[in-house]
Amino acid sequence: MSCGVSASKRSLRSNPGALIFLAFLLMAVLAPYLAPHDPWKRYEPYLGPSWDHPLGTNDMGNDILSELIFGSRVSLGVGLGSAIISTLIGTIAGASAGYFRGWMDEVLMGITDIFLMIPQIPLVIVVAAFLKPSSITITLIMGILWWTSLARIVRSRVLQVREMAFVEAARVMGFSDRHIILTDVLPNTIHVIMPKFMLTVASAMIAEASLSFLGLGDPNAKSWGMIINFAFTRGGFLNGYWWWYMPPGICITLSVLSLVSMSLLLEEDRVSEHVAS
Amino acid sequence: MNLARYLISLFVILSLNFAIPRMMPGDTMTNLLGEDVILSDDLVQEIRREMGLDLPLREQYLMYWRDILHLDLGYSYHFHSPVLPLVLDRMRWTLLIAAPPVIIGALLGTLLGALSGWRAGTRSRLQMFIFLIIYSTPPYFLALISLYIFGFHLGWVPMKGFYTTASPENIIHHIMLPVILMSLFSASRNYMIMRGSVIQERQMLYALYARAKGLYDSQILFRHVFRNAALPVITLIALDFGFIFSGALFIEMVFSMRGMGNLIYSALLYRDYPVLQGSFLIITIMVITANMVADALYGILDPRVRGR
Repeated sequence: MSCGVSASKRSLRSNPGALIFLAFLLMAVLAPYLAPHDPWKRYEPYLGPSWDHPLGTNDMGNDILSELIFGSRVSLGVGLGSAIISTLIGTIAGASAGYFRGWMDEVLMGITDIFLMIPQIPLVIVVAAFLKPSSITITLIMGILWWTSLARIVRSRVLQVREMAFVEAARVMGFSDRHIILTDVLPNTIHVIMPKFMLTVASAMIAEASLSFLGLGDPNAKSWGMIINFAFTRGGFLNGYWWWYMPPGICITLSVLSLVSMSLLLEEDRVSEHVAS
Repeated sequence: MNLARYLISLFVILSLNFAIPRMMPGDTMTNLLGEDVILSDDLVQEIRREMGLDLPLREQYLMYWRDILHLDLGYSYHFHSPVLPLVLDRMRWTLLIAAPPVIIGALLGTLLGALSGWRAGTRSRLQMFIFLIIYSTPPYFLALISLYIFGFHLGWVPMKGFYTTASPENIIHHIMLPVILMSLFSASRNYMIMRGSVIQERQMLYALYARAKGLYDSQILFRHVFRNAALPVITLIALDFGFIFSGALFIEMVFSMRGMGNLIYSALLYRDYPVLQGSFLIITIMVITANMVADALYGILDPRVRGR
């Protein structure tokens, strides 16, 4: 197993997707140092690209490049945050269902089945409409609702792992269930969790951008989706100000693309390894 | 057995629908009527009584079920119409742009995905890259850009709406671009799944056996591998139906088409909660139905399931 993880690490290093994602992460962390202006400061509105404002300014006179750089914090934050929450819930639910089986399995998988069938985006829209829009509520809503498909994947992997000899050995040695799950079962499940985790970050980022487009995003946090929304509602599209709406769209697509390609790579590694062994 | 599962899902979702406005912060009546409604104090008391909001929750719940069984989803004060007919009327239009892409996307995605998984090469890599980009772009953003290029700049397609004159050609002209976009989205998802599925099946023993038997490559793919690889795709198409439908909602908003998407958008603007909830309920019921159909289809296509 350990050799499998290092193999995927090796192929990740040569993947441009990982580099692109790392670049976006750095951009989010170093935003205050990278941005040429304060994204809230107002200059002359509707300026085209120039040396001082490489991507021009928006209707309020905010520098768009700085908005874009600071926007990475919101978009990546919501994506990573909700993916971490849903991965935690999904892993706990899937691992307990698969490991303990019995009634716990029935109940947890019954809940999963029901949640899987509810269309995610419409549900998020309804719940978000009732609550005051903020990045944190959106992160929480998606995190709490999106764990089901991961729970299924983890469960079926745990069902395999729990029958393996080393788990049985640990049980014979008298280790507690919690100890066995944490030290024996989960480390052998991580390679099915990681690709799914990346896909969840990706779809949460797309969902955040879509919610912002509906005006359900946090109006005080300028995410990439919010910038597109402003460009759409305030004439950026009809006037053809491509420097306003194209960059945030490209940023979303690129970061999602990098996540999806990393996820595919890990998945392919796993499949080929599985066949080889 | 499976039917019971669907009925339980339906029951839970309807109960969730009851719980949401009562669980959320704010006044329950406002949450039930929508924030667009301004009433005098006397009227507030009267409506509160009429809606049974002074009753215990248990009785409210029974009342809710009675209304549901009478197909009553409430009244929208913003649209001045009962919710159900309003939603169903818009639903027809949305299905017009959401249903064809499910089929086109399934055919296109599985076929191209199978070929690309079967034979890796530069062309398949390029194809993969294009589908990956479509997969990674928010649907509405691609819709905005294509509307800008094909509608605004080139003038090939109309900028908004479902029709100007209600002739079939005119409607087709209007929905052409949205349908193409949705089909590409649906295809991109099916493509990725099918490609992975074929890559896995290709390494199975039966594929090797078919080759040893002397079958041509394309015969192995279409007679043997395709059938097995397509099975997981069928369930996914059904689960994807909800996704495609959500995508259609956003594309409608971009193209200003008077379907469910626009209904939800204006319901959001005026916080018209009955319409929002009604729309959510109808969409969910549709997705559940799609899943039931897929289950039945799966049984027909996979003899191993049929036997059970």
